[in-house]
Amino acid sequence: MPDTAILLEVLVIVVKVSVICGILFGLPLPLTWLERKVAGHIQVRLGPWRVGPHGVLQPFADMVKLLIKEDIVPDRADKFLFKLAPLLSMIPAFLVFVAIPFGEKFAIPFIGNEITLYISDMNVGILYILAIGGLGIYGMILGGWASNSKYSLLGGLRSSAQMISYEVSMSFAAIGVVMLTDSLNLLEMVRSQSGSFLDWNIFYLPVGPVWFVIFMISALAEINRIPFDLPEDEGTLAAGFHTEYSGMRFSFFMLAEYVAMVTIAVLTVVMFLGGWNPPLDISIFHLVPPIFWFLGKVVLFIYFFMWLRFTLPRYRYDQLMAIGWKVLIPLSLVTILVTGLMKI
Amino acid sequence: MSNGPSRIAEFIKKALFVDFVKGLSITLKYNVSRSITLKYPDEEKWVPDRRFRGLHTLNKDENGRELCVACELCAKVCPTKCITVIPMEDDTGRGIADRVAKVWKVELARCMFCGYCEDACPTRALRLGRDYELACLDLSCAVKEKDELLRPQSIPETIQGGFIVRSRFERTPEGIKVVPDLRMQKKRNL
Repeated sequence: MPDTAILLEVLVIVVKVSVICGILFGLPLPLTWLERKVAGHIQVRLGPWRVGPHGVLQPFADMVKLLIKEDIVPDRADKFLFKLAPLLSMIPAFLVFVAIPFGEKFAIPFIGNEITLYISDMNVGILYILAIGGLGIYGMILGGWASNSKYSLLGGLRSSAQMISYEVSMSFAAIGVVMLTDSLNLLEMVRSQSGSFLDWNIFYLPVGPVWFVIFMISALAEINRIPFDLPEDEGTLAAGFHTEYSGMRFSFFMLAEYVAMVTIAVLTVVMFLGGWNPPLDISIFHLVPPIFWFLGKVVLFIYFFMWLRFTLPRYRYDQLMAIGWKVLIPLSLVTILVTGLMKI
Repeated sequence: MSNGPSRIAEFIKKALFVDFVKGLSITLKYNVSRSITLKYPDEEKWVPDRRFRGLHTLNKDENGRELCVACELCAKVCPTKCITVIPMEDDTGRGIADRVAKVWKVELARCMFCGYCEDACPTRALRLGRDYELACLDLSCAVKEKDELLRPQSIPETIQGGFIVRSRFERTPEGIKVVPDLRMQKKRNL
């Protein structure tokens, strides 16, 4: 018979995991709404408006539509892989959140117990995130391959080439942050950035901004968003790797994509923008709970990704490869050298 | 190399994302600017200018007598032959003359709203008005008879027009209607 302390700990972890899963499953609803609203307003129109006030219930209508749609599996497709692919792309996107910290210890009011705002405090958190995040690509390749369609296959091939080339520079950017903070632990990274905004890694001159730019560009390519959304290039590939998917299987891919976007926003905030530290070390800012600073920064980045999406056109495939291999990787090698020299 | 400095400038521009920031600031400006969407039929409706050519209307003079003298000029000039006029004698003072229209009807399905009929009208009885919601489910409402056309239209002649007003969307058993709020507290231009 295990004692109550262990049972309580297990219970707390189960509750935390289910809360995070619930939030992540629910996230695409507000995010699709926000994306369509941002698209609408950037194009001087309104976006969703009819369903609910300001169209806030539109995602629910979309969800109902996706749920009652026919689930089509192409005749000559590899049935097993076709059904496996959406799960393979969705599960790693969720798994990443095991290692992501949302804040320090937090005392529950009225009970007095302290809980931590992270599921697991891994001492190699950043490695875990990069490794698991890289698994999501299997879903895309398999989805494109198993569909038995030219568009899907080309989309899958493109995504594999793109993600492999950009994974390198993204990992280099992570290495840069590891060098700046002397730790692979995400909590330690945030702690080392406490203080005013000048202590954040992005303002670690001169290499901080460079690492930030490298990380942003390769992360955008990694999560397949415009200007690097070549795997699902509507103009040439219909819908890329998910051309043959419909209904809920398609929405799994969408879910994975949105969760990946949130992951990247959270990682950027943790690695470069001081996590839950307020921008200035003054007492008024410390009155706001740290989680709100964290969420505020994340929302800002999510908005930034959407803003970018409706500003930039899509890169050509050779341009994409040239940016990855000829600009970002040499630049990150040079920046590693500079960072190393600064750290001596 | 003659183009050396310009290439360096180009490189610096690229490295500092100058064009990129320019593009982002333009889209941000649009993002916070007011949307131009006309929320018709839910909340807003366009009130046309006076010169707008919508549904026909037959006018009366200040004593309430029909101005139409059934001269049939509108029917003659109509390029699509959609107007039918049958005159009759009537000295009860219904019209301004003894000759009034017994039948005056227009087939809207054929009308192309060219406005020749109102130009031809010698007594200014016929005008193309400002009602433009003419859709219906069958052809029965595409023929407008005299009684209906003699009724005043929803937007009085005193209103200048050419702007958008708030409106109310009404769903009744007879059909749907978009009623503009003509007090014009919240009007905006197109």
